[in-house]
Formats: sequence, C-alpha cells, structure tokens
Amino acid sequence: MRKGMGKLSRFLPAAYFWLVILYLLFPIVIVLPISFSNNPFLRFPPSNFGVLWYETYFSDPVWVAATVLSFKVALTASLLATVIGTMAVLVLERRQVPLKAAVTYFITSPIIIPHIFIALGVFILAVRLGLEDNALTLAGAHATIAIPFVVLIVGAAHRQLDPTFERAARVLGAGPVRAFFSAAFPSLLPGIAAAAVFAFFVSFDELIIAEFLMGEQETLPMRIWADLRLELRPTIAAVSSLLITITTLGMALSEILRRRGANLNDD
Amino acid sequence: MLSKRQFLSAALGAVILAGTANGPGRADDKTMTISGSGGAVAEIAQKVYLGPMQEETGITVKRVGTEAKRMAQLEAMVRSGKVLWDAMEVSASDYPIGVKKGLFEPIDYSIVDPDHKLPDSARKKYGVGAAAFSLVLAVRTDKLPAGKQMTSWADFWDVKAFPGPRALRNRPQDNLEFALLADGVAPGDLYKVLATPAGIDRAFNKLDQIKPHITAWWKAGSQAVQLLSDGEVFYSTSYNGRITKLAASGVPTEIVWNGGALHLSLVGIPKGAGHVDLAHQYIRYRAMNPARMREYIKLLPYPGFAPGLYDGLDPQVARTLPTYPDNLNAQFAANEEYWADHIDAIQERWDEWLLR
Amino acid sequence: MLWPALVMLVAFFLLPTLDIVRSSVFDPDLTGRHFERVFTRAIYLDVFWRTIRVSLIVAAVCAVVAYPVAYYIVQRPRRRQFLFLFLVFVPLWMSVLIRSYAWMVVLGREGLVNAALMGLGLTDAPVKMLFTTGAVYVAMVQILLPIQIVTCYSAMSEIDLDLMRAARVLGAGPWQAVRRVFLPLSLDGTITGAIIVFMLSMGFFITPALVGGRRDLMLANLIELQVNQLNWGFAAAIALVLMAGTVACVAAIKWLSRRLVRALSGGGAP
Repeated sequence: MRKGMGKLSRFLPAAYFWLVILYLLFPIVIVLPISFSNNPFLRFPPSNFGVLWYETYFSDPVWVAATVLSFKVALTASLLATVIGTMAVLVLERRQVPLKAAVTYFITSPIIIPHIFIALGVFILAVRLGLEDNALTLAGAHATIAIPFVVLIVGAAHRQLDPTFERAARVLGAGPVRAFFSAAFPSLLPGIAAAAVFAFFVSFDELIIAEFLMGEQETLPMRIWADLRLELRPTIAAVSSLLITITTLGMALSEILRRRGANLNDD
Repeated sequence: MLSKRQFLSAALGAVILAGTANGPGRADDKTMTISGSGGAVAEIAQKVYLGPMQEETGITVKRVGTEAKRMAQLEAMVRSGKVLWDAMEVSASDYPIGVKKGLFEPIDYSIVDPDHKLPDSARKKYGVGAAAFSLVLAVRTDKLPAGKQMTSWADFWDVKAFPGPRALRNRPQDNLEFALLADGVAPGDLYKVLATPAGIDRAFNKLDQIKPHITAWWKAGSQAVQLLSDGEVFYSTSYNGRITKLAASGVPTEIVWNGGALHLSLVGIPKGAGHVDLAHQYIRYRAMNPARMREYIKLLPYPGFAPGLYDGLDPQVARTLPTYPDNLNAQFAANEEYWADHIDAIQERWDEWLLR
Repeated sequence: MLWPALVMLVAFFLLPTLDIVRSSVFDPDLTGRHFERVFTRAIYLDVFWRTIRVSLIVAAVCAVVAYPVAYYIVQRPRRRQFLFLFLVFVPLWMSVLIRSYAWMVVLGREGLVNAALMGLGLTDAPVKMLFTTGAVYVAMVQILLPIQIVTCYSAMSEIDLDLMRAARVLGAGPWQAVRRVFLPLSLDGTITGAIIVFMLSMGFFITPALVGGRRDLMLANLIELQVNQLNWGFAAAIALVLMAGTVACVAAIKWLSRRLVRALSGGGAP
C-alpha cells in the first residue's frame, strides 16, 4: 500500500508536468506538418507535401536578412537589459534607496504603457537626432522594455538568496565584488539566465517599436506581419519550425558533447 | 555549451555588428524614399515599378516598409520638421485624416496627368488613385443550399434561405452600408441616409437581425480567407484579391460583386518632403503606366486607372478586377470623407452594440 | 549602479512619452474633455472592467498551473532543470499569429476537438469553442505560462531545500513542512510572476481579437482605434486610465500576498 502510494506520488507530478508541457508545445504538432505542405494557404491537415516554403524562405534574402537582424537586435537588447537590470536589482535589494517603491514602479512602468506610445516617442527623438533606421536605437528601446522583466525576475530570485555565504566570503577577506561573484552570483545565475532568455524574446517578438524605428531593414516580426497584407502563407510555419528545430538540435548537441566530455573525464 | 567567455564575446560581437548597421545615407538629387507596405508587397513593387523606373529614368527609389502605423509616423515627421519620405502609399481610409491634419503636399496634375486622362475619382487634391480594391461578399459555393445562388446583401441577411455560419469585419465602415443595402436603400442614396441619425439607427436595426448569426467578427484580412478556407464560415466579407487567390488554390469560393464597397488607395507626398519633383515623377510612373500596371495586376489584383489598362489585358483576368466595368457598376463607391467625419461617434456605438 | 537603468528609462521611455501623455490634458490648452469622455461613455469603463477581469483570471490560472510545474523542475538535478526550462521556452519561438492559427485548427467548427467529439458520438452538431471567451483564456494562458513558470522557478531555485529537511527533522509532517516553510518562501516568485502576467494581459489585444468573440474587447483595442485616427490626446487618456487600473491592482495583489504569507507561516496548528 505504502509502496503504491509512493509510486503514485512520484508518477502524478511527472504526469502533470508533461501534460502542461504538452499544452505549451502542442501548436508545434499543427505547425510542423503545415510547414511541409506546398499549399499556398495554411491548411490543416496538410496535403501536397514538399519543402516549397523552406525554399521560399531560404531563396528570399529579405526573409533571411530579417531573421539575422532580429537575432542581432534581440541578443544586444538582452545583454543590455540583463546587465543593467541585474545591477539595478543589486542596488534596490541591498541598499537603502529613497522612495524605493516609487523607483521600482517607475522601472517596471514600460510594461504597462502601450508600446505604441514608446514607439512614437522614440521615433520622434530618433528622427531629430538622425538615429532612425538604426539597429542600435532599436536594441536600446527593446532593452528598455525588457529591463522591467529582468528587475522583477532577478529581484524575486534575489530575495530568496541566503546572505550567509557572501558574508562569510567578506569575513574571509574577499572584496565586495569578489564576494558577490564567488558567493551570490552562482546561486543567482538561474534567475539571471531565465531573465536573459526572456529579455531576448521580448525583443525578438516585438513589432510596433520596430515598425517605427526600422525603415529599409525589416525585423522578423515586421516581415511576418507585412505578409498579412496578402495572405497567411505557410512561410511563417516554416520559420517557426526552423527556429525550433535549430535550437532543439543545438540543445541536444550541447547535451551530447557535455556527456561525452563527462565520460572522458571519468576515464 | 558555450563557455561564459565565448558567450560574452559573441554577445559583444552582436553589439558591434548592430552598431555598424547605420541609417541611410542622405539622399542626393536622383535618389528618393517612398514609404509603403513591407514584405511581399514591397518585393512586388520593387520588381514591377521601382526596378524598371530606375532603368528608364535613373531615379533610385528606396522603399521603407511601413504598415498600419504609417500615418502616425508621418504626423511625427511633419511635426518635427524632418520628413524622411518623398512619396508614400496612402490607404483609402487614411487619406481624409491626413488631409484634415494637413500632412500632404498638393499634387501638381500638370506633371502627373496633364491630359486629364484619369477619372475625377482618382484625381484627388492631395493624392492620386493607384489601386482600387473592394470589400465584397465571398461565398463558399459548395456550402450553398442545392440549386441556390447568393447574389445580394438581402440574401446574406436571409438566414432561412441560406443557413450557415457567417462572418463580417469588426468595424462599422462598410457594414453599415451593407445593412442599408440589405434593407432596400438604393446604392446612390447610402450616404444621404447615413447622414441622418435616423439613417444610422436604421442600419444598426438591420444589423441587429444578423448579429446572432455572425460566428466571427474578423480583424485582419487574412483571417477572413482562413475562415472561409477552413469551413469555419460559409459566407463572409473579404477583400477581392484574396478571394481570387483562394479560389485559384482550389477552395470553391465566389465573389458577389453586387453591393461591394469600392475603395481607392492613393499615392501622395508628405508635407515638407525633400524631393517633391522626383515624387511627382514616381507618382506619374505609378499611376499612368498601363504596361507596368498590367504586370502588377498579375501579381496583385488591385488595379489603378492607367489609361488603356484594359487594352491588352487577358479578359479572364480583367473579369476578376474591381474596376472591370460590370463589376464597377454593381458596386458603390465607399465615401471615406463621410467616415473620417463620423467614425468617432459611430465607432463607440459600434463597440457598445457588439458588447450587448 | 542604479543609474544605467534610470538613464535608459529616461532616454527611451520617460522623455519620449512625456509629450503624448501631456496631450491627454493639454490638447492644445488645458482640457478635461478626454478624461470626461472616458468616464462618461459607457463603453470605456465597461471594457476597462472586462480587461481587468480577464487579466486577473489569466494571472490566477497561470499562477496555479505553473506552481507545481516549477516545483517539479526545481526538484530535478541541475542538468535536467535546464533541459526542462528549455522545453518551457520552446513555444516562444512561434509567432503569436501562427499560434492563434493553431487554435483555429484545434477549436474550430471542423477542428480536431469537434471531430473527436463527433467521432466518439458525444455530440451531433459541432460545439462552438472558437470565437468565445474560453478560447481567449486557453490561448492567452498558453502564451503567458512560460514567463510564470520561469519566474516561479528562478525564485524557488534559491530556496534552501535543507530548510524543509530541517523542519521534517524537527517533527513537522511533509505537508506542514511544505506549508510552513516552502510555500511562504516560494510565494514571492509566484506573486511576482502573476504580477508580470497580469501586467502583460492588461495590454493584450491581438490574441483576443483573433480567437475571441465579439464581446472580447480589451482596452488596448480601443487605444489602437484612437491611434489609427491620430487622436493622441484621447488615446493617452485611455492609456493612463489603463495604467492607473494596473498599478492599483498590482498594489492590491502585493498587499494580499503579504497577508497570505503571514497567515501561512504564522497561523494554523502549532
């Protein structure tokens, strides 16, 4: 009886976990087959299998350039937001900051103002300064809307941090920077990494600010939404499938390499 | 996995790369910038108009992709006195807004159309008609009751004779007109009726009848196509070009031209543009060149009024166009000025009506 | 070290939006007409409450669904944790457009669920699922769940699991250990995640427009309509009301969660 209970209590959480993952991943079940149809429209179930839309994607320099641009901007924005946001957390959580609540609300406010206002305002400034159609301006704006997420996520992780290790390091003679990086940083890392990944996607998916700030160069969301003018073509299914496949392969590869590395070390 | 250092250097590389992607160089006197739809539309425009024009005239045209928020960008540039575009696509419904806010340069027709060959409807003070498109009733012919044909808005409203799910676009423009047509108003009287509060009431009362039978209120043009293609609805409003393509892809769909709403997209010149002269040359090329326009129509069935356009056009293609004489006569011309003046009040009523 | 964040916010957010926000009361002279319109026409407040309700429900559902998921991940070995987090992030590669199409395929009249129901003989006529408020919830939760799981996880991963073991050694039952030690500590991340999800939901408009019915109007839709007409003053007035509502709700959520933590770790059986 107890043994059965134990099995069940191990099985149920796992079943629940995979159920939620299934729900999160299910669109792939639809999107992947559609990407391999040669139909001019999105249609499920797909017929007429082929790689037409992958060909369309790779043979069109605009699609590829848009993907590359989106990656550049999102990586830059994520890096900026993660560094700046984490620094802000360290101040907000550790020091006596005057009007701390007000400052925190201010830093998080870009989440709650419609992006169109940020887009218009930054566009006006950029035009005045001659900085429009510049990927760096866009990355800066994207970093700014991603900072709130970093501050919130890393802040939540930081509040659970055990200060004892860092204090011990200080007592043992480490400077504040070294004490932080050797004692606190490793345990903050999951939170920081999660925030960085999320900041990446905030930028990678953003449409409106990009529409305003970019002109001749298009980002991936701009390219995807521009096609709405015509029809929803399976190219976007092909793009999504490609991105997922490449990242999954990358993840699997790094896991295999790591295991092999670990085995070698064991020998 | 990347080491921390590798990751950092990759990320720094991204920063530096992003920094090298600078803005456009300042234009010389043979280079101009136009703003229009991005994506596939931009590629077609490049192939049909911009490339050949550069060969013929030596004018280089840079195209800036902008979508729904084009007018907001235009207003921002005009207000800050630094206008980056020399010419732009102006959607039918944006035109009166831009005129009211003073965002366009007037068109010099002695350059664009000296012999007065364009119809008056395409010769607006601040814009030249470039592409006509229609919001029409589209019907899944395989879902029709046996032996019946849907031919009018009255049929669309007749849920007994034509049962089945329907869709309309989620906005008052065009729908109020369709309701009045279904209620027996003559196409020529539509805006006379809508000018009175009683006329607006009449349209909403007629819409009350169909509201329970509307499955989906679509927002984006591609959605209507998807709804018809998936069999989610049997009858829906849609833009004519999309239905032509849908039918060509093998989904049995038909356009009912009778009672369609004809709109006209324009090309215009932003107020304070740097190259007004080049812009006029571009607009002339865009609106008056029938050979180019025939090429364009093959890819996007939204024709303008270039003189002689229909000569030498495949009659099979011609019949699918909104400005084909038979189709033109069956439709009404949407009055964009009416909507610019009344949208504020009617939109609120529309949203309240949908929530009820 | 707070200043880089403040500089970015001033340069890319405060300065650029100041003019637009100001136009809600100076248009061009001092006027209350924009706010008056928001508060007198029924539609705006109606949609305001609707937006808050939808956002609160989405945030609550995300919090409840995500908590066990994050807990499950935290208990795995570190390597496995990263693998599972990767899975959680995968859907973010898909454009919202294609995801709403996927819902059409599943929930539509001739969609997969209806085909299954009719195939099993559970229903004769297709059940209407697409273009309903239910579809909006299903689609919004799918989009926002990853951020909730990840926020929850990153806060949980800092909690010293030894504390729970210590509580067990000191005689607490397993449920009591979770409730008195783990739950209060992990609530912070859950609430932070819920606040993020809530704030994001308040600004949603594309997904509800694509999969919702005619009543699923969000305040951001109305802002969008005004922007298209270039009515910046009025658009800003609606946006400020939206922001005020968001801030008030966030403050209320924080206050409630503090009381909840106190009740959990303090009250109950000794």
